[in-house]
Amino acid sequence: MSFHITHRTRYRYKSNVVTGYSEARLLPRDQPDQAVRSATLEVRPTPSDVREHRDYFGNRVTFFSVHEPHDELEVTAVSEVDVVHGDPPFNLLGPSWDEAVHHLRSDEAPDLLEAREFRLDSPLVRRSAALADYARPSFPPNRPLVECVVDLSNRVHTDFVYDPTATTIGTRIDELLALRRGVCQDFAHVMIGCLRSLGLAARYTSGYLETHPPPGQPRQVGADASHAWVGVLVPDVGWVDVDPTNDVLVSDRHTTLAWGRDFTDVTPLKGVVFAGGGAQELSVEVDVVRA
Amino acid sequence: MSVTPAARSTLLSAYRPHTAGWDEMVDADGVVRPHWAYLAGALDALGLDELRERHAEVDRLLRDDGVARHLHDDPDRFDDPWPLDPVPLVLPSDAWSSIERGLAQRAELFSHLLADLYGPRQLLSRGVVPPEVVVGHRGFLRHCDGMHLPGSAQLPVYGADLIRDPDGTVLVLEDLAQAPTGFGYGLESRSVLSRVFPSVYRDAQVHGLDGFFRALRMSLADNAPDGVDDPTVVILTPGRLSQSYFEHAYLATILGCPLVEGTDLSVRDGQVWLRALGGLEPVHVILRRVDGWYCDPLELRPDSQLGVPGLLDTARRGNVSVVNPVGAAVLENAALARYLPDIARALLGEDLLLDSVEAWWCGDDTQRSHVLANLDSLVVRPLAPRPSTPPVAGWERSASDLDALRAQIAADPYRWVGQAPAEPSAAPTFTRAGLEAQPCIVRSFAVGRSGSWVPMPGGLARAVDTPISSGVGVPVNKDVWVLASEPEMVAGTWMPDAPLRVSTETAGAVPSRAAENLFWMGRYSERAEVSIRLLRSILDRRATQPGGPDHAADAAMAVLMGALWQLTGVVPPLDAGEIGTLDAPDDAAALRAVLLDGDQPGSLTSNLRAFLNAANTVRDQLSSDTWLAVSNIEGDLRLLRSPIDPDAAAQVAIARVLKSLLAVSGLVMESMVRDAGWYFLDAGRRIERALGLLRLLRATIVHPAETAAQALVVESVLEASESIITYRRRYRSHARTDTLLELLLADPTNPRSLAYQLDSLTTDVDGMPRVRRTRLDGDQRLVLEAGTRLRLTDPATLAAVDDTGRHAALEDFLTSSIESLEAIASAVDAQHFTHLHRGHMLVGEAHVVPDMLETVLP
Repeated sequence: MSFHITHRTRYRYKSNVVTGYSEARLLPRDQPDQAVRSATLEVRPTPSDVREHRDYFGNRVTFFSVHEPHDELEVTAVSEVDVVHGDPPFNLLGPSWDEAVHHLRSDEAPDLLEAREFRLDSPLVRRSAALADYARPSFPPNRPLVECVVDLSNRVHTDFVYDPTATTIGTRIDELLALRRGVCQDFAHVMIGCLRSLGLAARYTSGYLETHPPPGQPRQVGADASHAWVGVLVPDVGWVDVDPTNDVLVSDRHTTLAWGRDFTDVTPLKGVVFAGGGAQELSVEVDVVRA
Repeated sequence: MSVTPAARSTLLSAYRPHTAGWDEMVDADGVVRPHWAYLAGALDALGLDELRERHAEVDRLLRDDGVARHLHDDPDRFDDPWPLDPVPLVLPSDAWSSIERGLAQRAELFSHLLADLYGPRQLLSRGVVPPEVVVGHRGFLRHCDGMHLPGSAQLPVYGADLIRDPDGTVLVLEDLAQAPTGFGYGLESRSVLSRVFPSVYRDAQVHGLDGFFRALRMSLADNAPDGVDDPTVVILTPGRLSQSYFEHAYLATILGCPLVEGTDLSVRDGQVWLRALGGLEPVHVILRRVDGWYCDPLELRPDSQLGVPGLLDTARRGNVSVVNPVGAAVLENAALARYLPDIARALLGEDLLLDSVEAWWCGDDTQRSHVLANLDSLVVRPLAPRPSTPPVAGWERSASDLDALRAQIAADPYRWVGQAPAEPSAAPTFTRAGLEAQPCIVRSFAVGRSGSWVPMPGGLARAVDTPISSGVGVPVNKDVWVLASEPEMVAGTWMPDAPLRVSTETAGAVPSRAAENLFWMGRYSERAEVSIRLLRSILDRRATQPGGPDHAADAAMAVLMGALWQLTGVVPPLDAGEIGTLDAPDDAAALRAVLLDGDQPGSLTSNLRAFLNAANTVRDQLSSDTWLAVSNIEGDLRLLRSPIDPDAAAQVAIARVLKSLLAVSGLVMESMVRDAGWYFLDAGRRIERALGLLRLLRATIVHPAETAAQALVVESVLEASESIITYRRRYRSHARTDTLLELLLADPTNPRSLAYQLDSLTTDVDGMPRVRRTRLDGDQRLVLEAGTRLRLTDPATLAAVDDTGRHAALEDFLTSSIESLEAIASAVDAQHFTHLHRGHMLVGEAHVVPDMLETVLP
């Protein structure tokens, strides 16, 4: 499947910004199941300095700075991506979750050693007994890990209400668990917290999802949004991605931007501005079109 | 050779050697070790009383040098004493060389380790180090992945805390990698002890420290980005409230590079720039004293005001070198001790020369079992040092504390490390009673230079009462004397072992913030001086005033008190009533407010505090003698604030403050290079002196008064303007307004006159950096205008009075002159100083859910 993706972020400042430094993770990474044919980032006003590098996780990061007075910053990422997810590339009768935990603890295969980082706490996801307790019904002894994860995704989807007003970036994961409300970022964090609290390795992926218009209506430009889901490491299989917000396994309609331990590792756009700034207004438009 | 010196005092015979472990001075048979023989004999010859005297001298020198630890926010507590033992720790040459080899090996090892952890991470993928030890450490900054320094050493400055265990083996208690501190304090300790014990120091043949500091300068230069031959090096400090700010400023003077704060630096066009006077100067190497997480608010902690946005990306591009690298804190890692022997074999193919104190990492099942089984005899510490989680000595804790600790370990095993209790050796430390054996930890350092390491021959020792960890409590510091096997050539820190490159362009680079602080230092010191001079003449008049009602004297006093309010802006205490009706006791309360009310900006206390704040911020710009005079003011301020009788004692206290202020201004005149910074300091002083004079005249001379009272007032004005002797000699007459104005306003030869201040200001603004030289900038224009107006004014016309007896023309002149001086001050500020706004962080974007997909679960 091929997509043409436009992601536009606009900041409006109450008063002029003289200098602004930003860091964007808005260009999709190449992956075995994803070929990025082109990806460009356009910034207005024109930055005096732009540079791209790969971060620790291999994500594409663009640093740019603007050194002219401006009261609006517009960042537009345009990418052409081929997604080549085939059938689910794993065997559902792969290792049971308890075997997986055991492998992660004691097996010194390089990929498992590398995945151990994703079992630990991260800035927004702290493991807890409460998260483990919530997850446990999906994890009876000897059940294949992938089945457990699918079941957990289904429960998160069922138990949590999608509510864009309920949470902020600062809402803690134990609060989320009690609140049972949030956005895709929160669904992903809760699920990651559950998996890590059981000793599994889970990561956070940001990206896009092609959406279906309601029947009979044209697809609305800009109605799509950036999205987030969860990867879990299945020993002998690899990373398996699941989208708890929609209760689906990640398919060829998901396009990956970046991944890390949690949202803080993949924040799409952040910045520091000097002079003025003050209150800011933010608007985001995402458009995912089948090419 | 074993020598028991002939006892010349009881100092040595009363020493009780350490019995629980190794004693540095005395061997198991009670005999003084050979390398201690000379010092022990010398101390014994001095005796207890003399050593007490020398100790007091040590304290005095440290105070004069401004060595302090800032541990508090109390505005009057500037100098928490930094305790230094007059008795150094002595180490023999041969034993030290094996320690040096061990330090160099460890520095090399940590350098390779850092390169691997932010590079291929083979130690993790090959299973040499469990990943959690690294990726679970809060000092592991993923943002630094792939970054490296251009020099051969990736960790140019390495430090270690060493102890000697009971069987004499030297062990590493702690490795320091983030921004090792202490070598500056070590140099200062050496400088103090060599002054207090000149002949002992000379005859003991102690290894000098110069080579180490030379190597440090060279190491920083080695790290210049590719293609930069003549690097500008700066020291990045969190600021004067930082605990080791003294050392930051001291290093700036030793290394000869600007001391900067985050706001002095700015990233532009892929470069780091210093906001210097006269424009931006490129910066190539940063000696970092700011914690890694705080270095760049864009990528790291967004709430940091200590860093520079974009710094990390500039370092990533190789356009600036940060020393030590921003991610180095991961090496300050309690669990590494366990894995270091394996790491040394993997990276160097060598065995460790210096072992660490034994440690057990709780992330490993076997090691954790050991820790849990021996909790009451181990020190338990977090993987990464945290001020909020100090090491716990199991044997000092109750059973319930240990149960709580056990639960914490069980919840997050990888975050905890057990460490064998350290049993440091003890060395003689001077106490009230004499020499006492106290456990010592020695901190030493190594600096990396083109493929080799230069260890510091010595360091800084700390005598501690609880030997469990470093950095807890306030230990007593000790100089470390490594004896040289033969006398050394004295070279000095500055003698280069390679052609020395001095950049003419940046050698004089003064950060704009430093210039601003110098300007304010000048302003506050002069404000303090102006108010002291008026206070002094008021106190004099009170003291000489005859008892009983004296109409003229009372009227003069009322005018002078009014002038004091106008000059200082201090509001008299509420219960003092109307100014004009003040009687003596209320005057006393009002004077106390002018002296002591730290909440009022114009009081003497406030001015002195503000002066000290400004001076502290630019202490790297001040000569050591100037600093000595500044330190005295700290003491004076304390004296001033001890309960005083507002007359007699106040006279004494303000006389002392005045003396110290005069010492500072004398040194500023005599010892400061006339660089850009000096002109700002002088301009600040000139502006305030002129303003003080103008305000004084407006508050006293303008208003009509009876002749008798007016004469007293004029006399006090002349006194407060330091011009009474000249006046009497020159005019030999009763005080008259026209001659007074001649001397105080128009006479360019009187250093207290307005004309003199404006002439000096002209020189000052001309000496400040200018972008263009063809036209005058705003500040220059205003100074020229003020000078011209004065020259066009005839003092005789100003002395004329109107129908009501007022000097109306004088009042107009004074008011417009005050306004133009205030305008000059604002123009200097606007023209030269960078006005920084705090950065705001913009975080991310809101995530919105896509429309629901149909469920496609397999």
